[in-house]
Amino acid sequence: MTIALFLGLEGVVGAEPLRLVSTTTELESLAISVGGELIVATHLIPAGQDAENFQPRPQDLARVREAQAVLRVGVDYDLWLDPLLQQAGNARVRRGGAGYIDASTDIALLDVRAGGVGPDDGHAHGRGNPHYWLDPANAAMITATILEALARLDPPNAKRYEANRLAFLERLDAKMGEWKRALENAPALIAYHDTWPYFARRFRLRFVGIVELRPGVPPSASHLAKLAREGIEARVGAIVREPHEPARDAQFLASRTGARVAVLASSVGAIPEARDYISLIDYDVRALAPSR
Amino acid sequence: MIEALSFLALPALACAALVAIHAYFGLHVLERNVIFVDLALAQVAALGATAAFLLGHPPQGLAAHAYALGFTVAAAALLASTRAWSGRIPQEAQIGVVYVVAAAAALLLVDRAPQGAEHIRQILTGNILTVGWSELAWAIALYAAVGLAYPWIARALKPSGWISEFAFYAAFGVVVTSSVALAGVLLVFAFLIIPAAIGVLHATRFASQLAIAWIAGTAAAFVGLAISYASDLSTGATLVCTYGAALAIAGIARGLRRERRAKFGAALRLGRWLAAALLAASAIWIAISPRADQPLLDSLEHAFPAIRGAYMDAKSLAIGAEAAAYGRRYRDEADKLRAREAERRWKGEPLDEEEVRRIASFEKSYNEMIRGEEFVTREVRSRAREAKRWWIAGAFLLVAAILAVSLPAWRSIPRSAPR
Repeated sequence: MTIALFLGLEGVVGAEPLRLVSTTTELESLAISVGGELIVATHLIPAGQDAENFQPRPQDLARVREAQAVLRVGVDYDLWLDPLLQQAGNARVRRGGAGYIDASTDIALLDVRAGGVGPDDGHAHGRGNPHYWLDPANAAMITATILEALARLDPPNAKRYEANRLAFLERLDAKMGEWKRALENAPALIAYHDTWPYFARRFRLRFVGIVELRPGVPPSASHLAKLAREGIEARVGAIVREPHEPARDAQFLASRTGARVAVLASSVGAIPEARDYISLIDYDVRALAPSR
Repeated sequence: MIEALSFLALPALACAALVAIHAYFGLHVLERNVIFVDLALAQVAALGATAAFLLGHPPQGLAAHAYALGFTVAAAALLASTRAWSGRIPQEAQIGVVYVVAAAAALLLVDRAPQGAEHIRQILTGNILTVGWSELAWAIALYAAVGLAYPWIARALKPSGWISEFAFYAAFGVVVTSSVALAGVLLVFAFLIIPAAIGVLHATRFASQLAIAWIAGTAAAFVGLAISYASDLSTGATLVCTYGAALAIAGIARGLRRERRAKFGAALRLGRWLAAALLAASAIWIAISPRADQPLLDSLEHAFPAIRGAYMDAKSLAIGAEAAAYGRRYRDEADKLRAREAERRWKGEPLDEEEVRRIASFEKSYNEMIRGEEFVTREVRSRAREAKRWWIAGAFLLVAAILAVSLPAWRSIPRSAPR
């Protein structure tokens, strides 16, 4: 037992960097802001691809097998990871293992709807809306969860991880004031898909409605008509869509309400400007800020 | 009303234009027995557009259209060439191969893409509801050009030669590439096959088939759009289902028109015997397993809730009603809570993390309580069904017997009457 433990820890204690695999690019970016050069981080879902319908490839199995830590979004967002973890047979990163990190731990979730309540709930996700990383204040919580796990896996470097995280939070804090000021007088918005409640809450944005209420089901004519009417009443300034969402539907509502279309990214790498977590939020804020 | 018209005018015009060209090609497709050719060609066009995107062209730009068109024409040449093998390999199998290979190749290309490419096909797939005036004008011009030029070219060419086959697939490919971008794959398939099928059901001459297909297709589209608006349903899916219903009605109408009254009587008798068999099977099922899903009883109760009174006593009815009322109340409370939280995101004092957590825990417990009430409703009903299962089964069997036995007596009346 002691020997096994010793052998298990060997790779971590040595000079080799800790190998962390995250499901999404934005979690990878947050992990790097804590781990710095002490970790080698990779992600499984290619930038800009649909996280919920991702199909793992053979090499992903190898990545998980060799990982010392696995970092996931949770909240039923990356359910495909569970069979992958089972198959990889890497006890360290399995649910309950030392290297298993669920970034949604300790996040205050919005729009909580239990699974199985019935077909009349708006979002198909079982437990709360999963796009919590889009609130920069939640980045503090996510990096705390990451820090706790890294310190547990690699105790000698705990102090350095902590210093990295504090430096990141300082940068984030400085940006936060700037972002809040930029969005102070932002107009009301309509979103294509219900991706933005956390972002909206942090920056006090009003989303009048959602175009596609149930993911994958295009809107009805009367729903679009209602949105257009409410959009005009609320003087909507922009129709928000992501790069992968249909341009035509957003353009259609924009022409009906007199708003513009704003293309936002919810994921690092979905557009070239979103290189890391801070530049992702930076890009979204600039895309929404009223032009002066 | 005016709002509905302002939202449905362009989609209605688009439907009429799509039916006009697709019913024509649909008749040819049915005649050639290449039913799924539109899916294969649309997939090839999407592959072309994906390739263009990977080469750095914007997804809806001119270059993307040119690539899509080029790929489609190449696929048309391929399908025209391989038609010669159709004695050994059915043409439909070849079309299937083109479809899966194009879909898989697009997937592999996307896997190599820098970013956001996996959604490109989604972007290329249209929605009839949000069709814009300028793209519709382009499409109508294209359909008119193809619709006028293709029959003329086809008449000039030797039938069933390579060139005439190629001309058919190429003309059709050009139309499908544009219409899928306008209305989506499902709807285009419905526009292509269903009006043409209705035409073939009711006429033998090409011109009359086409006329029937146009009238039936356009009428069904308008009905579907109206249903979509009135019932708040997704427009494309509603249209496809309306088309399915239209084909069913057309089939029944053909039966009524073509068959003699005697045959109609036989069909009626068959229907009554089927109903009797269904009732007898339900009776046996509820006797064996009263707690399982009872499709017939469940749908009858859904349509006429009063039926419950026949087998549930007043106390169980009251318990069930109370549980349903509590469920509705909890749902209402949870909705109100969510709405209040959503409003505080932008209005009034912001909620802090603790308050958000409290709301989430309330939402969770409401959801649990709703599930509890649903369980009570189900349980009360299951117990009542279990207790009265022999009565319910007996009632079903009685109706089944009446349906099955009364038929000869009913039929004997006109027979005994003087002719």
